[in-house]
Amino acid sequence: MAQHKLPNGDREEESSHGSEPTHSEDGVDLTLIRWMLSITPAERLQVLQQSVESLLSLRDASANR
Amino acid sequence: MPAPTANYLAILKTLHQHDVKFIIVGGVCAVLHGAPMATFDLEVVHSREPDNLTRLSAALEELGAVDRVPGHHEMKPGPSHLASEGHQLLMTRFGPLDLLGTIGKGRDYNQLLQETVEMQIGPELKVRVSTLGSLIKTKEETGEEKDRAALPLLRRVLEEKSKS
Repeated sequence: MAQHKLPNGDREEESSHGSEPTHSEDGVDLTLIRWMLSITPAERLQVLQQSVESLLSLRDASANR
Repeated sequence: MPAPTANYLAILKTLHQHDVKFIIVGGVCAVLHGAPMATFDLEVVHSREPDNLTRLSAALEELGAVDRVPGHHEMKPGPSHLASEGHQLLMTRFGPLDLLGTIGKGRDYNQLLQETVEMQIGPELKVRVSTLGSLIKTKEETGEEKDRAALPLLRRVLEEKSKS
């Protein structure tokens, strides 16, 4: 993913789709959608599975502090 | 109630092995279509034909499904529950499973069937999933705040899919 320096010194990320926006007007991250669409349904289910397990691990770690 | 690790694939495989007719809706459906979101329960609309309810009961037995509503623990969903238009919120040994008799404006399995696609999940499992357009329509119909909140993401997924 390319980075461009802005006049104020901040960096703006540009997607690998060239000039395509990274977010929609209503704030949805389009890069994540494009990534999910690039993988198979089985892999998407695996991503969900791992996300849920990861979130539950974080919750459990937080509860055991 | 113990907290089993959610395993969507294991639940789907069990339903498939028992030849249960069902349509995946809700968050897992959205993810299968490419929505980057997390959900903790698997929601399906099942056919309420008698033969299917018999197969579904056998699958639920294997899954160790019980009601997850507080105070109803250990209650197994009976035939009248499964045959109803209502929602059965269950906990299985592979995590939460919601069995929905109808969704949106009272649409059942047969009515939803024409708005579904089959998806191959790995080499051995093919499942029937609500189309993304139908999922959006259902969430618009229910009008609940949590459903409305998901709409921007689902609409953007639909747009991005149409480009590819």
